[in-house]
Amino acid sequence: VSTEDVDVNAEDVNVRTQAGPSCPSCGAPLQAEDRFCERCGARVDDEGSTEAAETRVELDLTIAAAVSDQGLHHHRNEDSFHLAVTGERNVAVVVCDGISSASAGNVAARNAAQAAGVVLDKSVADPDKDASQAILDAIQAAVDAVIQVEWTTRVKRVDPSCTLVSAVCRGGEITVGWVGDSRAYWFDREEAHQLTVDDSFAEEGIAKGLLTPEQAAKSPFLHSITNWVGPDAPERPPRTVTLRPERPGRLVLCTDGLWNYAPSASELGGLIDALPRGAAPAAVARALADMANDRGGHDNITVAVIDIDP
Amino acid sequence: MSTFTTECDQNEYLPLGGSEVNAIVTVTSDGAAGETSQPEAAEIVIIDTSGSMGAPRRKLEAARKATSVAIDCIRDDVAFGLIAGTEVAQAVYPTDGTLVPASAQTRADAKIALRRLKAEGGTAIGSWLTLAGTLFATVPGRSCHAILLTDGENQHETDDHLDGVLSELEGRFQCDCRGVGTDWKVSELRRIASGLLGSVDIIAKPEDMAGDFRTLMETAMGKATGNVSLRLWAPQGASIAFVRQVAPTIEELTDRAVQVNDLTADYPTATWGRESRDYHVCINVQPRDAGEEMLAGRISLVEGEETRARALVKAIWTDDQRLSTQINRGVAHYTGQAELADCIQEGIDARRDGDLATATFKLGRAVQLAAESGNDGTMKLLQGVVEVDDAATGTVRLRQNVAAVDEMSLDTRSTITVRVGPGAT
Repeated sequence: VSTEDVDVNAEDVNVRTQAGPSCPSCGAPLQAEDRFCERCGARVDDEGSTEAAETRVELDLTIAAAVSDQGLHHHRNEDSFHLAVTGERNVAVVVCDGISSASAGNVAARNAAQAAGVVLDKSVADPDKDASQAILDAIQAAVDAVIQVEWTTRVKRVDPSCTLVSAVCRGGEITVGWVGDSRAYWFDREEAHQLTVDDSFAEEGIAKGLLTPEQAAKSPFLHSITNWVGPDAPERPPRTVTLRPERPGRLVLCTDGLWNYAPSASELGGLIDALPRGAAPAAVARALADMANDRGGHDNITVAVIDIDP
Repeated sequence: MSTFTTECDQNEYLPLGGSEVNAIVTVTSDGAAGETSQPEAAEIVIIDTSGSMGAPRRKLEAARKATSVAIDCIRDDVAFGLIAGTEVAQAVYPTDGTLVPASAQTRADAKIALRRLKAEGGTAIGSWLTLAGTLFATVPGRSCHAILLTDGENQHETDDHLDGVLSELEGRFQCDCRGVGTDWKVSELRRIASGLLGSVDIIAKPEDMAGDFRTLMETAMGKATGNVSLRLWAPQGASIAFVRQVAPTIEELTDRAVQVNDLTADYPTATWGRESRDYHVCINVQPRDAGEEMLAGRISLVEGEETRARALVKAIWTDDQRLSTQINRGVAHYTGQAELADCIQEGIDARRDGDLATATFKLGRAVQLAAESGNDGTMKLLQGVVEVDDAATGTVRLRQNVAAVDEMSLDTRSTITVRVGPGAT
C-alpha cells in the first residue's frame, strides 16, 4: 500500500508526499541537523543504530520461507511477517503491510504480525482447534495489538493500521484469512489461483459490475482498501477460505509491493514456472522479491512461499 | 543577561523491555544581570495584623521592624506596597490601590504607615492574597514577589476558597510565606507557598524576623531573570511519571504542567538569581530493541519563548546487565531525599493523631535516610522530636515532651534536601 494511493475516507486521511529526510523509525520529517527524531526520539544521526536497520529480512525454514524487502523507493520497511513451521509440515504464516499514510504503519504491521503469529502458532499445535476460527482469533489479536499502539491518539493523524493475510497449513488443508489487499495464491502443476479477494474499491467495483477487471487495474482506486486492521477499521468481519489441494504445490502470500508487478495469478505463476524445477521456497521468495525490485521496487515487498505436499 | 547551564546525570542504559528513564538535571544560573536586563520588579509585604499579633506585643513590633528592614532593601524604582491583613485586607501603603516606585521619600512614608498598624481582628489569608494580586495587576509586565507573614490559622475562609484563590493567582506573583510563633498551620502555609512558587519557613522568635526579611528581600532583589519555565519534551508514546524539584528543596511540579503541544509541557520555576537547582525527571518510554538509542526527553530552560539552556535525557537498551543495573547515584540520592521528606510529614501527622507506632516507624526511617545522605540539618531537627538510639538502623524513641516549635521546624523544613556529598551513597 503506497502513500499516494490510499484514499479511504479522504477527509481523514492525511496523504503525505515523501519529501526530504524522514525518521526511519516513525516516518516523521527530519531536519538535516537532527540527532534524534523530534517525534519519536529515535536516534537518527550516523552514530545511531536505527539508521542501520536491515533493508531486507529473510527467513528460510526449508519447506517454507519468507523475504521482506524495503524496495527501492521507501525509506523504511513497513511490511512485516511471521512464519513458523511446527510438527512435520504444519505452517503458520502472517504477512502485514503497514499503511503509510497513517502514523507508525511499520509499528502497526510489526505488532499485528507478532500478535497474530503468537495465536496461530498455538492454534496450529492444537488438533481440536478449527483452523478458520484460529485465523479469526489471530486477526482479532492483531487488531487488539494495533489498537494498543500508544501513539494512536496523540497526534491528529490517521490511526496506525495495516493489512493482514494469514494462513494455517495443517494435515493437507490450507486455511487463509485476510483483511485488506495483501494476497494469497495457490500454484500447482496444473493450476494458478488467487485465493483471496482484495478488500478494495476496485474489487468491490468489479463485484458490483461497475468496473471491468481491465478498468479496475487502471483505476486510481485500485489500492484504496475497504477494510484494514486498526482502531478506525470498518466493522467488517475478515474473510476466510479453505482449500484441500489434490496435488503438491505452493502457497504464496504477498503484499502489493509484489503483486503490483504481476497482478494476475497466471502472471505470478509464470514467473515461478520460469525458475528451475524444484527450487526451494527460499529461492522462490528471493526471486520474486528481486523481480519486484528489478521492475521498479516502488513499494515494500514481502513474500512468503510454502511448499505443500498433501 | 544571566547565563544558564545544565547538567544531566543519569544511567541511560535500560534492560531489555525496560521503560522507566530517570535523570537528575542540575540547572545553574550565574545571576549576572546587566543594568538593562534587570527585570522590572514589584514587591508587596503582607503583614498579619490580627489580634494575636499583639500578644505578646513584641510580635507586632518585630513585624514592623522586619518590614522596615525589608523596605530598606528594595531597590530604587521597584514598585512596592504594604498590605495589613485581618478578616479583611487593607492596603496600608500606598492607600490609593496602586503600588509606588521605591525612593527615599516613599520608603520613609511607608515606615510611617507601618507605625500606625494595630493588632485587632481575624485572619483571612485568601483575601490578603487577592488584594496583592489586584495591586500587582496595576504594574503589568513586572516580576512580582510578596512576603507573607502570619502567626495564626486561616479562620475566616474555607479551604476551598483558599484553593480557588491560589489557582486564580498561580503564576501572577511569587510568595514567600513565614509563620511566626507556633499557632499557625504548617500544611496551610506550605500549600500557599507551594501554590505561589515561594518558600515557607518558621520564625520561632520574633527577634529573628528582621534578619529573615532582609535575606528574603535581598534574594528577591537579586533575581536577575523573570519568569522561567522548565520545558520538557518527551517522544510520542512516552508519558511523564513525574517532574520534581529536588534541591534545594523538594517541590512537586508534575501537576503544574502547562501543555505547549502534544509532546511538550512547561513547568513553572519562577525567578532565578545566582543559584543552582536540581530536578528529578522520570519518563516512561516505549521499550526498543537491544542496541537502540533514543531521546527520552529534552529539558530546556525557557524565558518567554527564548531557550536558555538544554539537557538531553537518553535511553539505550542493552542486554548487558552490568550496564543496566547500575543505579545512578544522583537518582538514588534524591529518591531517598523525597522519601525522607515524606517520612517526616507522615511521621508528624501520625504522632499528632496519636498513632505512635507509625510515628516511630516513619521518623525512624527518616533518621536512617538523613544519616545515610548526610543531611545534617534535617538530622538535627529530627533529634528535637525523637531520641536516636541507632541512626544506621533507624532505631528511635519518640520524645515525651516535644516543644511545638521543634515539631513545626521539622515539619516546615522537611523538604530541604542536601546534594550528593562524598559521604553519601
